[in-house]
Amino acid sequence: MAKTKVDDINRNIYDVVDKDNYEFKMQKGLNREIVEEISKRKNEPDWMLDIRLKALEMYNKLELPTWGPDLSELKMDEIATYVKPKANLNNSWDDVPEEIKNTFERLGIPEAERKSLAGVGAQYDSEVVYHSIKQELLDQGVIYTDMETAVREYPEIVKEHFMKCVPINDHKFVALHAAVWSGGSFVYVPKGVKLDVPLQSYFRLNSPESGQFEHTLIIVEEGASLHFIEGCSAPKYNKVNLHAGCVELYVKDNAYLRYSTIENWSKNMMNLNTKKALVGKNAQVDWVTGSFGSKVSMLYPMSILNGEGARTEYTGITFAGAGQDLDTGFKVVHNAPNTSSVVNSRSISKNGGACTYRALVRIAEQAKGSKCSVSCESLMLDGISRSDTIPVNDVETDDVEFSHEAKIGKISDKEIFYLMSRGLSEEDAKAMIVRGFAYPVSKELPVEYAVEMNNLINIELEGSIG
Amino acid sequence: MEIKVNETPVRTSRNFRINNLKLENIEIPNNLKPFKNIEIITQKAEISNNVRKYKLEYGNGAVLEENAQNEANSVLNIKTSRKGEKVTIIYTFTDEETILVNNIEINTYKDADITIVYKSNTDKACFHNSVIRLNTSPEDKVNVNIVNMLNNKSMHFESMENSLEDNTNVKYTIIDLGGKVSATNYFADIIGKEAKNDLKTIYLGIDNQVKDINYIAHLKGEKTEGYIDVQGVLNDEAKKNFKGTLDFKRGCKGAKGDENEFCMLLSPKAKSIALPMLLCTEDDVEGNHSTASGKVDEKSLFYIMSRGLSEKEAIKLIVRARFNKILERIKDEDLLKDIVHEIDNRL
Repeated sequence: MAKTKVDDINRNIYDVVDKDNYEFKMQKGLNREIVEEISKRKNEPDWMLDIRLKALEMYNKLELPTWGPDLSELKMDEIATYVKPKANLNNSWDDVPEEIKNTFERLGIPEAERKSLAGVGAQYDSEVVYHSIKQELLDQGVIYTDMETAVREYPEIVKEHFMKCVPINDHKFVALHAAVWSGGSFVYVPKGVKLDVPLQSYFRLNSPESGQFEHTLIIVEEGASLHFIEGCSAPKYNKVNLHAGCVELYVKDNAYLRYSTIENWSKNMMNLNTKKALVGKNAQVDWVTGSFGSKVSMLYPMSILNGEGARTEYTGITFAGAGQDLDTGFKVVHNAPNTSSVVNSRSISKNGGACTYRALVRIAEQAKGSKCSVSCESLMLDGISRSDTIPVNDVETDDVEFSHEAKIGKISDKEIFYLMSRGLSEEDAKAMIVRGFAYPVSKELPVEYAVEMNNLINIELEGSIG
Repeated sequence: MEIKVNETPVRTSRNFRINNLKLENIEIPNNLKPFKNIEIITQKAEISNNVRKYKLEYGNGAVLEENAQNEANSVLNIKTSRKGEKVTIIYTFTDEETILVNNIEINTYKDADITIVYKSNTDKACFHNSVIRLNTSPEDKVNVNIVNMLNNKSMHFESMENSLEDNTNVKYTIIDLGGKVSATNYFADIIGKEAKNDLKTIYLGIDNQVKDINYIAHLKGEKTEGYIDVQGVLNDEAKKNFKGTLDFKRGCKGAKGDENEFCMLLSPKAKSIALPMLLCTEDDVEGNHSTASGKVDEKSLFYIMSRGLSEKEAIKLIVRARFNKILERIKDEDLLKDIVHEIDNRL
């Protein structure tokens, strides 16, 4: 029987390269002077510079990971850590320079904002060029702004939370991030405020041989709720680009946060991102993640369930094609009684791509009555790709219900035969099976958020099959 | 000295505390007197001391491998040449013999039943380190049983490797009860077409016992099958690391693999870590794994206790029920009684 062949993602939209037309591009490499220069250009307070310098020290001390994908192509001496585009922060698309605005229009961001978003942030290289939020949310006390503004205008909140959820010594690329971070979003949802429509931040890296280090800090106060969406993309260059963002989420008691990510970096990108959520009593954080792009990804969102009755769900899909090594997964720590987690992961490997599901579930001694269920499925579309599942399950108490199951394999001949006996062509049958495989993830996406991930999955599956 | 044993075939984050088992202040014995307390029961199998030098694919680390290859005080080559040959080897630790480093090579022909038992008649802390290699011939059907009943002060290290030819069927059963630290490393190289390797293990951890279990199967031949089924119970402050790897190599078309680990926790202080890995570079395969852990099912416990049994007796019954499917593979009734008695005593 012929093998299923699925085309690579049609990256036309994402691969449009704008002229590298920056206002300032930092010299390549990383040292104290560069870190001080970034801080100076941002006119930051001393406490932030102190964090940056401590982080730089930590970066120099920490080793590269001794596990996971090969990072040898990443050379910090060849990466510019800060690129300021020729644009200032605007709250109207009309004021964003034409070229940059066109890029975001091609990606459908302004249209999505008009249709279905409560607020949008758009970052181009190292700086946020557009940020807006609906007036009614401002009236309720919601803050949605870029991180630089937050450092200036809400220093006490930022000081209390910045690099506290993710400590600077977490790993080498967190230290790097803290030393050179630039851009990103700050969201504060006051007690009891529930946002019905999502906020979205979009990160675009245009400049070659550069890095993007945006910081996202979200605080959802007691009883509040938020859906936050982040998207990222970059055109492809021959040399390596680096993304080492950091996401810190504080979900206070009885609060709810849904964090959706559509990651479609170009295939020269090293995506070494860190995301972590601290979850309070009876609060919930849900992660929905689609990883499609980048050359190498090491991305493991983490929920730390600190409050009794806290919950988390992770739904993720990873699609690795030629030349991609996507090492993704999820980490959860149950630190309090009666906490629960549900993990649902899917991966598809093709054309020599490598997918790894790497995960940690830790149920601490005090987390009595906790429950965790993990399901992980991998689909191999040919015999030249790779798919690995590396989950660690660490249970430190008896009063738990923990189960983990994983499957790996190809499209079942029986299923194809069954569908063909119902009148479908072989191609349609295979496409339907792959769609069904991805369905648990795609159904979690907001219907109105049609800009990226659903399109991507459709593009993938509408490729030539047969 | 400090050594790291039982490295996983693929590393993961150090923070996950599973890549290897670090042992501090461990003495690796050398210049040993031959171990005498060995009972060998066989009809016509050839037993000699000629064991070929061999570099293990995985094993328990360089230090212990070198110790077993160069310092062994018991070296056995077991060769079966008749269908249905049975061989039982019993090593008994005593106050006088507390150190055993054994290197065993098994070469089978047709059907064979090999059982290796480690017993303890001493309260002294013993040291045991072994390498067991099984080389099969095509079409062989081989059962191997390894039973560890050392006392809980002892160190127990075991590295096992199998190589499977066409249509070979290996059933390997490991009963892992003893040892203050018990680190077992198992590797099955499933090379031949339609070869099948079926590994089943029982472990029981009590007191402060540490069980470090690292099982790896490479599925290489077409339509090969690899199964790993581990059933365990942890009580008191016992700790277990289970690392299981099914590695589907390119070319193993039509291969199937299943990996299952279940850990019953009888104490809030017991700790269980599991890393069930599936590695795959061939699309035409079916691979599954599942792990689960939790306490004794309260409904079953209540039901049994309502029939007049004490909680302790009820737990023993539930544990035995869980272990029974694997214990059924021990055909020697006396040995089976010993094992059941040992499990009951320890619980």
